[in-house]
Amino acid sequence: MKASQVNTGVSLKMSQSSQKFSSTGTQATRVIGVLAIVVMAWVVISGLVFTPADVVQGESVRIMYVHVPSAWIAYLAFIVTAIASSFYIFAKRHSLGFDRVAGASAEVGVMFMAITLITGSLWGRLTWGEFWQWDPRLTTTAFLFVTYIGYLAVRRLDGSIEQRARRSGVIALLAVLEIPLVHFSVVFWRSLHQRATILDPNGDVKMDGLMLFTLFSGVVAFTLVFAWLVLHRQRTMLLSDLSNERGLDNAILARQSENASN
Amino acid sequence: MDLTPRPETISPKRRRWMPIIVLSLVGIGGVIVVTQFLSSAIDYYCNVDEVGVRSGCDTANRLRVQGTVEQGSLAKSDNTTEFKLVFNGKSLDVVYSGDPGGVFQECISVVAHGRLVNGVLESNRIEVKHSNEYEAKNKDRLENSGSAACSQVQG
Repeated sequence: MKASQVNTGVSLKMSQSSQKFSSTGTQATRVIGVLAIVVMAWVVISGLVFTPADVVQGESVRIMYVHVPSAWIAYLAFIVTAIASSFYIFAKRHSLGFDRVAGASAEVGVMFMAITLITGSLWGRLTWGEFWQWDPRLTTTAFLFVTYIGYLAVRRLDGSIEQRARRSGVIALLAVLEIPLVHFSVVFWRSLHQRATILDPNGDVKMDGLMLFTLFSGVVAFTLVFAWLVLHRQRTMLLSDLSNERGLDNAILARQSENASN
Repeated sequence: MDLTPRPETISPKRRRWMPIIVLSLVGIGGVIVVTQFLSSAIDYYCNVDEVGVRSGCDTANRLRVQGTVEQGSLAKSDNTTEFKLVFNGKSLDVVYSGDPGGVFQECISVVAHGRLVNGVLESNRIEVKHSNEYEAKNKDRLENSGSAACSQVQG
Protein backbone atom coordinates (compact mmCIF):
# COMPACT_ATOMS: atom_id res chain seq x y z
CA MET A 1 0.00 0.00 0.00
CA LYS A 2 1.29 3.44 -0.87
CA ALA A 3 1.84 6.05 1.81
CA SER A 4 -0.79 8.33 0.35
CA GLN A 5 -3.35 5.49 0.45
CA VAL A 6 -2.64 4.80 4.12
CA ASN A 7 -2.89 8.47 4.94
CA THR A 8 -6.21 8.84 3.14
CA GLY A 9 -7.62 5.76 4.89
CA VAL A 10 -6.67 6.97 8.36
CA SER A 11 -7.95 10.49 7.70
CA LEU A 12 -11.25 9.15 6.44
CA LYS A 13 -11.62 6.87 9.46
CA MET A 14 -10.84 9.69 11.90
CA SER A 15 -13.12 12.19 10.21
CA GLN A 16 -15.97 9.66 10.26
CA SER A 17 -15.33 9.00 13.94
CA SER A 18 -15.12 12.66 14.81
CA GLN A 19 -18.38 13.27 12.95
CA LYS A 20 -19.96 10.40 14.82
CA PHE A 21 -18.55 11.55 18.15
CA SER A 22 -18.56 15.35 18.06
CA SER A 23 -19.66 14.73 21.66
CA THR A 24 -19.70 11.53 23.70
CA GLY A 25 -23.27 12.36 24.67
CA THR A 26 -26.39 11.10 22.95
CA GLN A 27 -30.10 11.54 23.55
CA ALA A 28 -30.02 8.41 25.72
CA THR A 29 -27.13 9.62 27.91
CA ARG A 30 -28.81 12.99 28.34
CA VAL A 31 -32.01 11.32 29.57
CA ILE A 32 -30.00 9.05 31.90
CA GLY A 33 -28.08 12.07 33.19
CA VAL A 34 -31.19 14.07 34.00
CA LEU A 35 -32.83 11.07 35.68
CA ALA A 36 -29.67 10.48 37.73
CA ILE A 37 -29.69 14.07 38.98
CA VAL A 38 -33.39 13.94 39.92
CA VAL A 39 -33.18 10.61 41.77
CA MET A 40 -29.91 11.58 43.46
CA ALA A 41 -31.48 14.85 44.67
CA TRP A 42 -34.33 12.84 46.20
CA VAL A 43 -31.83 10.50 47.93
CA VAL A 44 -29.93 13.45 49.41
CA ILE A 45 -33.08 15.17 50.69
CA SER A 46 -34.72 12.00 51.96
CA GLY A 47 -31.49 10.65 53.46
CA LEU A 48 -30.65 13.85 55.31
CA VAL A 49 -34.10 15.20 56.16
CA PHE A 50 -37.02 12.77 55.84
CA THR A 51 -35.60 9.47 57.10
CA PRO A 52 -35.46 8.95 60.86
CA ALA A 53 -32.34 8.38 62.93
CA ASP A 54 -31.71 4.76 63.91
CA VAL A 55 -32.66 3.65 67.42
CA VAL A 56 -29.12 2.40 68.16
CA GLN A 57 -26.82 4.08 65.64
CA GLY A 58 -28.48 7.48 65.70
CA GLU A 59 -27.67 9.90 62.87
CA SER A 60 -24.68 7.88 61.62
CA VAL A 61 -27.09 5.48 59.90
CA ARG A 62 -27.47 8.04 57.09
CA ILE A 63 -24.09 6.95 55.69
CA MET A 64 -25.87 3.74 54.68
CA TYR A 65 -27.66 5.53 51.80
CA VAL A 66 -24.29 6.03 50.10
CA HIS A 67 -22.26 3.11 51.44
CA VAL A 68 -24.58 0.23 50.48
CA PRO A 69 -25.54 1.44 46.96
CA SER A 70 -21.91 2.20 46.11
CA ALA A 71 -20.87 -1.31 47.21
CA TRP A 72 -23.62 -2.96 45.16
CA ILE A 73 -22.88 -0.90 42.06
CA ALA A 74 -19.17 -1.69 42.39
CA TYR A 75 -20.12 -5.40 42.35
CA LEU A 76 -22.38 -4.74 39.35
CA ALA A 77 -19.59 -2.89 37.54
CA PHE A 78 -17.13 -5.76 38.04
CA ILE A 79 -19.73 -8.30 36.89
CA VAL A 80 -20.35 -6.20 33.75
CA THR A 81 -16.57 -6.15 33.21
CA ALA A 82 -16.46 -9.95 33.42
CA ILE A 83 -19.45 -10.45 31.11
CA ALA A 84 -18.09 -8.01 28.50
CA SER A 85 -14.64 -9.65 28.74
CA SER A 86 -16.12 -13.11 28.24
CA PHE A 87 -17.97 -11.83 25.15
CA TYR A 88 -14.66 -10.54 23.81
CA ILE A 89 -12.70 -13.70 24.58
CA PHE A 90 -15.22 -16.42 23.73
CA ALA A 91 -17.24 -14.87 20.90
CA LYS A 92 -16.15 -15.79 17.37
CA ARG A 93 -15.90 -12.13 16.39
CA HIS A 94 -13.56 -10.55 18.96
CA SER A 95 -15.23 -7.15 19.06
CA LEU A 96 -13.10 -4.51 20.79
CA GLY A 97 -16.31 -2.74 21.77
CA PHE A 98 -16.75 -5.37 24.49
CA ASP A 99 -13.22 -4.72 25.73
CA ARG A 100 -13.91 -0.99 25.98
CA VAL A 101 -17.14 -1.59 27.92
CA ALA A 102 -15.19 -3.93 30.24
CA GLY A 103 -12.49 -1.33 30.82
CA ALA A 104 -14.93 1.54 31.33
CA SER A 105 -17.03 -0.49 33.75
CA ALA A 106 -13.95 -1.50 35.76
CA GLU A 107 -12.83 2.13 36.06
CA VAL A 108 -16.25 3.20 37.34
CA GLY A 109 -16.36 0.14 39.61
CA VAL A 110 -13.05 1.07 41.20
CA MET A 111 -14.41 4.56 41.84
CA PHE A 112 -17.52 3.13 43.56
CA MET A 113 -15.38 0.68 45.53
CA ALA A 114 -13.26 3.59 46.77
CA ILE A 115 -16.45 5.38 47.87
CA THR A 116 -17.52 2.17 49.64
CA LEU A 117 -14.23 1.92 51.51
CA ILE A 118 -14.19 5.60 52.51
CA THR A 119 -17.82 5.73 53.67
CA GLY A 120 -17.46 2.36 55.38
CA SER A 121 -14.42 3.61 57.21
CA LEU A 122 -16.29 6.69 58.44
CA TRP A 123 -19.29 4.58 59.46
CA GLY A 124 -16.96 2.16 61.25
CA ARG A 125 -15.42 4.99 63.27
CA LEU A 126 -18.88 6.14 64.40
CA THR A 127 -20.25 2.69 65.31
CA TRP A 128 -17.38 0.28 65.96
CA GLY A 129 -15.06 3.00 67.20
CA GLU A 130 -12.40 2.20 64.57
CA PHE A 131 -11.74 3.49 61.05
CA TRP A 132 -10.28 0.18 59.96
CA GLN A 133 -9.81 -3.38 61.17
CA TRP A 134 -8.41 -6.33 59.25
CA ASP A 135 -11.57 -8.35 59.66
CA PRO A 136 -12.73 -10.71 56.88
CA ARG A 137 -15.19 -8.32 55.16
CA LEU A 138 -12.90 -5.31 55.19
CA THR A 139 -9.86 -7.32 54.16
CA THR A 140 -11.57 -9.07 51.24
CA THR A 141 -13.08 -5.76 50.09
CA ALA A 142 -9.65 -4.10 50.14
CA PHE A 143 -8.28 -7.09 48.22
CA LEU A 144 -11.03 -6.73 45.60
CA PHE A 145 -10.23 -3.03 45.26
CA VAL A 146 -6.51 -3.68 44.80
CA THR A 147 -7.22 -6.47 42.29
CA TYR A 148 -9.16 -4.12 40.02
CA ILE A 149 -6.51 -1.42 40.33
CA GLY A 150 -4.16 -4.15 39.07
CA TYR A 151 -6.61 -4.88 36.26
CA LEU A 152 -6.53 -1.21 35.21
CA ALA A 153 -2.73 -1.23 35.43
CA VAL A 154 -2.59 -4.25 33.08
CA ARG A 155 -4.72 -2.35 30.58
CA ARG A 156 -2.00 0.32 30.50
CA LEU A 157 0.80 -2.11 29.62
CA ASP A 158 2.58 -1.74 26.30
CA GLY A 159 1.15 -3.72 23.42
CA SER A 160 -1.55 -3.70 20.82
CA ILE A 161 -5.22 -3.04 21.61
CA GLU A 162 -5.93 -6.74 21.00
CA GLN A 163 -3.22 -7.74 23.48
CA ARG A 164 -4.71 -5.36 26.02
CA ALA A 165 -8.15 -6.90 25.50
CA ARG A 166 -6.89 -10.48 25.86
CA ARG A 167 -4.72 -9.89 28.95
CA SER A 168 -7.28 -7.82 30.82
CA GLY A 169 -10.11 -10.14 29.77
CA VAL A 170 -8.49 -13.13 31.47
CA ILE A 171 -7.84 -11.09 34.63
CA ALA A 172 -11.45 -9.85 34.65
CA LEU A 173 -12.73 -13.44 34.53
CA LEU A 174 -10.51 -14.41 37.47
CA ALA A 175 -11.11 -11.26 39.53
CA VAL A 176 -14.90 -11.52 39.42
CA LEU A 177 -14.63 -14.76 41.44
CA GLU A 178 -13.66 -12.61 44.43
CA ILE A 179 -17.11 -11.00 44.61
CA PRO A 180 -18.91 -13.99 46.20
CA LEU A 181 -16.00 -14.28 48.61
CA VAL A 182 -16.44 -10.63 49.65
CA HIS A 183 -20.21 -10.83 49.87
CA PHE A 184 -20.31 -14.07 51.87
CA SER A 185 -17.26 -13.27 54.02
CA VAL A 186 -19.63 -12.30 56.87
CA VAL A 187 -21.27 -15.73 56.58
CA PHE A 188 -18.13 -17.85 56.10
CA TRP A 189 -16.20 -16.17 58.93
CA ARG A 190 -16.80 -14.13 62.07
CA SER A 191 -16.60 -10.51 61.13
CA LEU A 192 -16.95 -7.16 62.82
CA HIS A 193 -19.09 -6.14 59.87
CA GLN A 194 -22.81 -6.80 60.16
CA ARG A 195 -24.52 -9.52 58.14
CA ALA A 196 -26.69 -8.70 55.13
CA THR A 197 -29.93 -6.85 55.83
CA ILE A 198 -31.56 -6.57 52.40
CA LEU A 199 -30.02 -9.69 50.90
CA ASP A 200 -30.84 -11.75 54.00
CA PRO A 201 -31.06 -15.41 52.91
CA ASN A 202 -34.31 -15.81 54.90
CA GLY A 203 -35.85 -12.72 53.27
CA ASP A 204 -36.41 -11.21 56.72
CA VAL A 205 -35.64 -7.52 56.10
CA LYS A 206 -35.53 -5.62 59.38
CA MET A 207 -35.53 -2.01 58.27
CA ASP A 208 -37.84 0.96 58.71
CA GLY A 209 -40.02 1.54 55.59
CA LEU A 210 -38.74 4.99 54.62
CA MET A 211 -35.14 3.93 55.28
CA LEU A 212 -35.65 0.99 52.93
CA PHE A 213 -37.26 3.14 50.24
CA THR A 214 -34.44 5.70 50.42
CA LEU A 215 -31.87 2.93 50.22
CA PHE A 216 -33.48 1.54 47.07
CA SER A 217 -33.67 5.07 45.64
CA GLY A 218 -29.93 5.29 46.26
CA VAL A 219 -29.40 2.04 44.35
CA VAL A 220 -31.42 3.42 41.41
CA ALA A 221 -29.52 6.74 41.47
CA PHE A 222 -26.12 5.06 41.60
CA THR A 223 -27.11 2.66 38.81
CA LEU A 224 -28.04 5.60 36.59
CA VAL A 225 -24.74 7.33 37.40
CA PHE A 226 -22.92 4.08 36.60
CA ALA A 227 -24.67 3.74 33.22
CA TRP A 228 -24.01 7.38 32.34
CA LEU A 229 -20.32 7.17 33.21
CA VAL A 230 -19.74 3.85 31.41
CA LEU A 231 -21.45 5.03 28.21
CA HIS A 232 -19.36 8.20 28.10
CA ARG A 233 -16.13 6.50 29.13
CA GLN A 234 -16.28 3.70 26.57
CA ARG A 235 -16.80 6.32 23.85
CA THR A 236 -13.76 8.32 24.99
CA MET A 237 -11.84 5.01 24.99
CA LEU A 238 -12.88 4.45 21.38
CA LEU A 239 -11.57 7.90 20.45
CA SER A 240 -8.36 7.21 22.34
CA ASP A 241 -7.90 3.87 20.52
CA LEU A 242 -8.51 5.55 17.16
CA SER A 243 -6.05 8.27 18.07
CA ASN A 244 -3.40 5.68 19.02
CA GLU A 245 -4.08 3.84 15.77
CA ARG A 246 -3.56 7.06 13.85
CA GLY A 247 -0.30 7.65 15.71
CA LEU A 248 0.90 4.20 14.69
CA ASP A 249 -0.12 4.76 11.07
CA ASN A 250 1.69 8.09 11.06
CA ALA A 251 4.84 6.43 12.43
CA ILE A 252 4.67 3.79 9.67
CA LEU A 253 4.22 6.54 7.10
CA ALA A 254 7.23 8.44 8.46
CA ARG A 255 9.35 5.29 8.32
CA GLN A 256 8.19 4.54 4.76
CA SER A 257 9.00 8.13 3.73
CA GLU A 258 12.48 7.77 5.24
CA ASN A 259 13.08 4.56 3.31
CA ALA A 260 11.77 6.10 0.10
CA SER A 261 14.05 9.14 0.42
CA ASN A 262 17.05 6.87 1.12
CA MET B 1 11.71 -26.29 4.86
CA ASP B 2 8.05 -27.33 5.22
CA LEU B 3 5.99 -24.36 6.38
CA THR B 4 2.63 -26.01 5.94
CA PRO B 5 0.45 -25.42 9.06
CA ARG B 6 0.38 -28.48 11.29
CA PRO B 7 -3.01 -30.11 11.93
CA GLU B 8 -4.84 -28.99 15.08
CA THR B 9 -4.24 -31.35 17.99
CA ILE B 10 -7.01 -29.70 20.08
CA SER B 11 -10.29 -28.83 18.45
CA PRO B 12 -11.19 -25.11 18.49
CA LYS B 13 -14.39 -25.89 20.40
CA ARG B 14 -12.45 -27.73 23.11
CA ARG B 15 -9.85 -24.99 23.25
CA ARG B 16 -12.56 -22.38 23.81
CA TRP B 17 -13.96 -24.25 26.82
CA MET B 18 -10.60 -25.03 28.41
CA PRO B 19 -10.13 -21.58 30.05
CA ILE B 20 -13.65 -21.73 31.51
CA ILE B 21 -13.03 -25.18 32.97
CA VAL B 22 -9.63 -24.16 34.39
CA LEU B 23 -11.02 -20.91 35.82
CA SER B 24 -13.94 -22.75 37.42
CA LEU B 25 -11.66 -25.36 38.99
CA VAL B 26 -9.31 -22.66 40.33
CA GLY B 27 -12.29 -20.75 41.73
CA ILE B 28 -13.92 -23.76 43.36
CA GLY B 29 -10.57 -24.92 44.76
CA GLY B 30 -9.83 -21.48 46.19
CA VAL B 31 -13.22 -21.19 47.86
CA ILE B 32 -12.89 -24.66 49.44
CA VAL B 33 -9.41 -23.92 50.79
CA VAL B 34 -10.37 -20.52 52.18
CA THR B 35 -13.71 -21.52 53.72
CA GLN B 36 -12.85 -25.00 54.99
CA PHE B 37 -9.21 -24.85 56.03
CA LEU B 38 -8.50 -21.23 56.93
CA SER B 39 -11.58 -20.43 59.03
CA SER B 40 -9.89 -20.46 62.44
CA ALA B 41 -7.07 -18.26 61.12
CA ILE B 42 -9.43 -15.73 59.51
CA ASP B 43 -12.17 -15.52 62.18
CA TYR B 44 -11.96 -12.12 63.79
CA TYR B 45 -12.95 -13.11 67.34
CA CYS B 46 -13.73 -15.88 69.83
CA ASN B 47 -17.14 -16.04 71.45
CA VAL B 48 -17.36 -15.87 75.25
CA ASP B 49 -18.16 -19.60 75.55
CA GLU B 50 -15.09 -20.52 73.49
CA VAL B 51 -12.44 -18.79 75.63
CA GLY B 52 -9.93 -21.43 76.74
CA VAL B 53 -11.80 -24.10 74.78
CA ARG B 54 -11.48 -23.45 71.08
CA SER B 55 -8.23 -23.53 69.16
CA GLY B 56 -6.90 -19.99 68.83
CA CYS B 57 -8.77 -18.82 71.96
CA ASP B 58 -6.06 -19.75 74.46
CA THR B 59 -6.24 -17.83 77.72
CA ALA B 60 -2.47 -17.19 77.71
CA ASN B 61 -2.72 -15.07 74.55
CA ARG B 62 -4.20 -11.68 73.82
CA LEU B 63 -7.83 -12.26 72.90
CA ARG B 64 -10.67 -10.70 70.96
CA VAL B 65 -13.85 -11.83 72.70
CA GLN B 66 -17.34 -11.31 71.31
CA GLY B 67 -20.49 -11.24 73.39
CA THR B 68 -23.42 -9.09 74.43
CA VAL B 69 -23.15 -6.51 77.21
CA GLU B 70 -25.47 -7.92 79.88
CA GLN B 71 -28.34 -5.68 80.91
CA GLY B 72 -27.76 -4.20 84.38
CA SER B 73 -24.06 -5.13 84.47
CA LEU B 74 -22.63 -1.85 83.17
CA ALA B 75 -20.78 0.26 85.76
CA LYS B 76 -18.75 3.31 84.83
CA SER B 77 -16.28 5.16 87.05
CA ASP B 78 -13.84 7.96 86.25
CA ASN B 79 -11.22 5.80 84.57
CA THR B 80 -12.79 2.41 84.01
CA THR B 81 -15.86 0.78 82.54
CA GLU B 82 -16.90 -2.60 83.93
CA PHE B 83 -19.49 -4.92 82.45
CA LYS B 84 -20.36 -8.55 81.94
CA LEU B 85 -20.10 -10.06 78.48
CA VAL B 86 -22.51 -12.94 77.82
CA PHE B 87 -22.88 -15.41 74.97
CA ASN B 88 -24.46 -18.82 74.65
CA GLY B 89 -25.11 -19.15 78.39
CA LYS B 90 -21.55 -18.23 79.46
CA SER B 91 -20.38 -14.91 80.87
CA LEU B 92 -17.09 -13.08 81.26
CA ASP B 93 -16.27 -10.05 83.41
CA VAL B 94 -14.59 -7.23 81.47
CA VAL B 95 -12.73 -4.22 82.81
CA TYR B 96 -12.04 -1.56 80.21
CA SER B 97 -9.66 1.28 80.91
CA GLY B 98 -11.63 4.35 79.81
CA ASP B 99 -15.05 5.07 78.33
CA PRO B 100 -15.83 3.16 75.11
CA GLY B 101 -18.05 6.04 73.91
CA GLY B 102 -19.87 5.92 70.57
CA VAL B 103 -22.94 3.67 70.52
CA PHE B 104 -21.62 1.40 73.30
CA GLN B 105 -24.48 0.47 75.66
CA GLU B 106 -26.12 -2.44 77.43
CA CYS B 107 -27.56 -5.27 75.30
CA ILE B 108 -25.29 -4.45 72.36
CA SER B 109 -22.77 -6.90 70.86
CA VAL B 110 -19.15 -5.92 71.29
CA VAL B 111 -15.70 -7.32 70.64
CA ALA B 112 -13.38 -6.68 73.59
CA HIS B 113 -9.61 -6.88 72.97
CA GLY B 114 -7.42 -7.74 75.96
CA ARG B 115 -5.82 -10.34 78.23
CA LEU B 116 -7.36 -12.62 80.82
CA VAL B 117 -6.08 -11.87 84.34
CA ASN B 118 -7.59 -13.99 87.15
CA GLY B 119 -10.62 -14.76 85.02
CA VAL B 120 -11.29 -11.10 84.17
CA LEU B 121 -10.67 -9.71 80.70
CA GLU B 122 -8.56 -6.57 81.07
CA SER B 123 -9.42 -4.75 77.88
CA ASN B 124 -7.89 -1.74 76.21
CA ARG B 125 -10.06 -1.76 73.09
CA ILE B 126 -13.80 -2.18 72.63
CA GLU B 127 -15.42 -2.43 69.21
CA VAL B 128 -19.19 -2.22 68.94
CA LYS B 129 -20.69 -4.79 66.60
CA HIS B 130 -24.02 -3.35 65.52
CA SER B 131 -26.81 -5.59 64.28
CA ASN B 132 -28.36 -5.73 60.80
CA GLU B 133 -31.61 -4.22 62.10
CA TYR B 134 -32.55 -0.62 61.37
CA GLU B 135 -35.36 0.90 63.36
CA ALA B 136 -36.61 4.47 63.66
CA LYS B 137 -35.69 6.24 66.85
CA ASN B 138 -38.68 6.50 69.20
CA LYS B 139 -38.30 8.80 72.20
CA ASP B 140 -41.12 7.23 74.27
CA ARG B 141 -39.54 3.83 73.91
CA LEU B 142 -36.12 5.10 74.96
CA GLU B 143 -37.48 6.62 78.15
CA ASN B 144 -39.07 3.31 79.13
CA SER B 145 -36.06 1.08 78.63
CA GLY B 146 -32.91 3.08 79.35
CA SER B 147 -30.96 1.40 76.50
CA ALA B 148 -31.97 1.52 72.85
CA ALA B 149 -30.28 -1.80 72.16
CA CYS B 150 -32.21 -3.47 75.02
CA SER B 151 -35.50 -2.07 73.72
CA GLN B 152 -34.63 -3.45 70.28
CA VAL B 153 -33.84 -6.88 71.74
CA GLN B 154 -37.05 -6.89 73.77
CA GLY B 155 -39.03 -5.79 70.70
